[in-house]
Amino acid sequence: MAHVVGPEVVKYACTCGLLKSISSLYFCRYCCQLRCGFCVCHEVDSHFCGKCCENLPSSEARLKKNRCGNCYICPSCQQELSTRIGSKGPSNPEDPKSTPKKMYYLSCLYCRWSSRDVGIPDQSAATGGWPDRENVNANRLQEIIEMYKAMVLAEKQQKEKDKKKQRGKYLSYTDRTGVTAAALRKRIGLPVDIQHSLLKAKPKEPEPAIAKEDVEDLPEELLTKPVNLTEVTTIEQRLLQIDLQPTTVEKLFPVHKQLSIKRSLRCRSCEHNVSKPEYNPNSVKFKIQLFAYYHVPEIRIVTVEPLRAGRPSELIIKFTNPTQHQTTITILSLVLSGDENEVKEETGDQPSLPQEKQPPSLSSQPSSLLSLSSRQPSITIKPRPVSQEVNADVAIPSSKVILPPRDDAAEYDDSGDTHNIQDDPKLVVWRKSNKAFVKLLVTPKQGLALNTEIVAGFTMQHIYTNTIATTVENREPDKHDHNIRVFLTLGNLVGFD
Amino acid sequence: MSRNSIKILQGALVCEESKLRGDITIGTGTIIHPSATILAEAGPIIIGDCCLIEEQVKIIHRLPFDQQDKENTPVLIIGSHNVFEVDCHVEAPKIGNYNVFESKSFVGNKVTVTNGCIIGAGCKVTQEQILKENVIIYGHDCHMREGLDRPGLQTLQMETLSKMLPNYHHIRKPNKKN
Amino acid sequence: MPIYEALSDKLTVVLDVGSAYTKFGFSGEYAPRCIIRSEVRCKKTNTIRRIIDYENQKDLYDLLVDFVHVLYFKYALFSPKDKPIVVVESLLCPTLFRETLAKVLFEHYEISMLLMLPSHLVGLSTLGAETALVLDVGYFEAVAIPVCHGLPVIHAWQALPLGSQIIHNNLRALLNSDNTGINNLPESVIEDIKVRCCFVTKQKRAAQLSVAKPEITFAPEVKYPIGGSEIITVSGKVREKVYEILYDEDNDHLCLSTMLLDAITKVDIHLRNKLAENILLIGGTVMVPGFKARLKEELHKQLKHDRYKKLKISSFKFHTPPCKENYTAWLGGAIYGATELLSMKALTREKYFKENRLPDWPNMRDNFRTNN
Repeated sequence: MAHVVGPEVVKYACTCGLLKSISSLYFCRYCCQLRCGFCVCHEVDSHFCGKCCENLPSSEARLKKNRCGNCYICPSCQQELSTRIGSKGPSNPEDPKSTPKKMYYLSCLYCRWSSRDVGIPDQSAATGGWPDRENVNANRLQEIIEMYKAMVLAEKQQKEKDKKKQRGKYLSYTDRTGVTAAALRKRIGLPVDIQHSLLKAKPKEPEPAIAKEDVEDLPEELLTKPVNLTEVTTIEQRLLQIDLQPTTVEKLFPVHKQLSIKRSLRCRSCEHNVSKPEYNPNSVKFKIQLFAYYHVPEIRIVTVEPLRAGRPSELIIKFTNPTQHQTTITILSLVLSGDENEVKEETGDQPSLPQEKQPPSLSSQPSSLLSLSSRQPSITIKPRPVSQEVNADVAIPSSKVILPPRDDAAEYDDSGDTHNIQDDPKLVVWRKSNKAFVKLLVTPKQGLALNTEIVAGFTMQHIYTNTIATTVENREPDKHDHNIRVFLTLGNLVGFD
Repeated sequence: MSRNSIKILQGALVCEESKLRGDITIGTGTIIHPSATILAEAGPIIIGDCCLIEEQVKIIHRLPFDQQDKENTPVLIIGSHNVFEVDCHVEAPKIGNYNVFESKSFVGNKVTVTNGCIIGAGCKVTQEQILKENVIIYGHDCHMREGLDRPGLQTLQMETLSKMLPNYHHIRKPNKKN
Repeated sequence: MPIYEALSDKLTVVLDVGSAYTKFGFSGEYAPRCIIRSEVRCKKTNTIRRIIDYENQKDLYDLLVDFVHVLYFKYALFSPKDKPIVVVESLLCPTLFRETLAKVLFEHYEISMLLMLPSHLVGLSTLGAETALVLDVGYFEAVAIPVCHGLPVIHAWQALPLGSQIIHNNLRALLNSDNTGINNLPESVIEDIKVRCCFVTKQKRAAQLSVAKPEITFAPEVKYPIGGSEIITVSGKVREKVYEILYDEDNDHLCLSTMLLDAITKVDIHLRNKLAENILLIGGTVMVPGFKARLKEELHKQLKHDRYKKLKISSFKFHTPPCKENYTAWLGGAIYGATELLSMKALTREKYFKENRLPDWPNMRDNFRTNN
């Protein structure tokens, strides 16, 4: 949708203080606040492979190291590899009647790399079966990990044993640098924790590595043989196979494709989802989509007169009401520093220490949210001040604009509008169904240099009709006044008064 | 500008809507789609057998500025089994066999193309060089790698085309016996 | 669901944010899941920005928020909320950087626990040894810290701005004499030329590089294509000379080899020989062909100088870690992260918000135990 609203000349200030276009904002219906990708909590919903569109449960994805078992990417150019049939023709040329056995190989359609390039034999099955390589140092590393595990565990148990010895409140310098009790014991010549059954059970401790005097020499051929650049791998190709990091192209092997995820977004103050995709990887639809585009009036710039410093210019903007309810828009002057009460509330007591809130939803619907009971409530981040500077004044009109509800059928109705809204003719220049053109006067500030980009701002107050019934008795939809700070980039200054 | 002299060998399929200028010889089994452009400005062009030249292809025989001597007219010889994909632009002074010029690629007039090379989609190769055999150029940075073998033939596609094209387009008559 | 939750608790992210490349993976694994450039796409200008190019703390905070987002949602593929994390950092990491990173992780991503580990120490754990002289050659600088019996001897640290950045600048300058338009090349191309064409030459040949009429024939030159429209020449002399900047003594007579020897000089006399016979090289730059061999040659050459004669070192021995050098420090973090150390020593979210500070070794508040 970005191309519909782009270039981003109209920006809304999110509750967190960042400026975004309406297409990248969310509207939490429960808090009646704007949210954006920065101030919501991102969560992983489902894992899937972007090539074969197979859905994987999170446990399986973890088991497969977040990679698809069947799909591979090209080690040469990182595009996806496709499986191709290479029939084994020349293997049996004497007997023309023998049906050629179908053999499969992997091939990249982009850089034409194929599994035959590095001598991987063709497979008889179309999926999988491709050899995976183990880390050559796996055994040694496993031993070392076990050793450290046992060492730290022993230390922990010892610590629990003599509880009398109070641990310091802070991490000490020795802690940070990791000197363990075991190491200390060793240093002062004591045997390593003999009293421990866990270590006794594991008598075999891996030998520490031995340093060698002779080191890898510079390969002599580098000095004499000309380098064939097509045979030396690039750093990207090396880092694709981290444990091998091959330097020549004949050691490039196909890499399992990294899985993708679907994300759901959760409002950090009320723990409700603002966006939740459908589970099926083929679907592009959402289960929950509280995009600001569907709840907040959209503003677009229609025309703006040439801007001159100190002289009022006429600006016509279009308001569109996306909701099913009539709304009233009031244009108020812009307050840049902490305008809304809620912001003050959050920043009021201790600015540096974010407080933790109990989510209101947990008590109201305990059954459905049971699975989330392990979740800690989110930390509310203090909103930051808006960084955008405004260098033009907007004349604040005294009257309001009423926007009728959206009616999709009316878009195709040519019979003309039948509304009977008493408009202020100075303010509303044209209207049709749920849209209205509004005329404003903007005056760029005095003393600005030529070609300065002019940004004007105002606060748009609209009446938001909340359709979620908060209590059973209250059948009437809630109506709220909702204020949004809007910034318009109007273009460059063309002259002076 | 010299007059057009187009020699089409028996078995070649050249659509009438293609734009051919200059002295051009087209080999057996070669298919030239409509709206392909072949300009023999600096000298004759000889296209080998079984080449596939698709729509919007531009093959131009034009010499670099510093080599424009009038002494001897160079001949652009294009080997056999080359594939020129849609909207590629080739000015190479010499082209071997079994090459593929992918869509929207550009080959300048200082680049000699040997055999089995693939110029990837959108790649622009202009620096003076001789491409080694089976070189593959791909990606927006024109990465180069060496293939194991020359690219596969487009036999199936050519067979279909030789059946389909005459049904929908006027074909130039072959005017030379081979 | 609960069984998966229990599983996920065991997955601890291990993160090593380097100046050029970031190593990212899980504890208990043998290699990082990814090594990616430490950079993010800036949404405002739509350009790639490196993390280290931050302007101020606020800017760094935003860069790190974007970067950690990529790490979790493109590679880790789970939500960081209420999960622990292990961060491997250099002991010389700027305070601003580590504190901002902690702030991002605790405040924005709401992680439950953070364990910061010093890279020189944990890199050693891959060997199962406890005493070694660890030299980390990274992007900005080379840092040598001796580790004795599992304790970094911080007062003996040595650091010089010898890393891939200075090599890149040097390569650019050297190429400039043979070619035009080098200055406009992005650093990634320079890096690629370095990786694919250059190497550390031998000491004998290096001496010839600066002679007017060298007696050796240089390595063959390389024609390096840039895009399809340009070819630059990387002469054999350039290929051999680029890395010399690491071994040439600067105005203070300091270079890589003196760093190591100076570090050895600063530790206790009984440990000197042991350190010289246990040298561990980590960092991406040490992976270049010929690096180790040349370093050994240089160390022996320096030993003949008067200032190091008193060391009485007879031999230098080098360790070979069971992994590639560019992620040795990360691997150490992964080994430590697999142990119970996380639950014992990590900084919890509650504590972080209560104290609102990060424990750090230069801070005396965190060092009180060493005083008594």
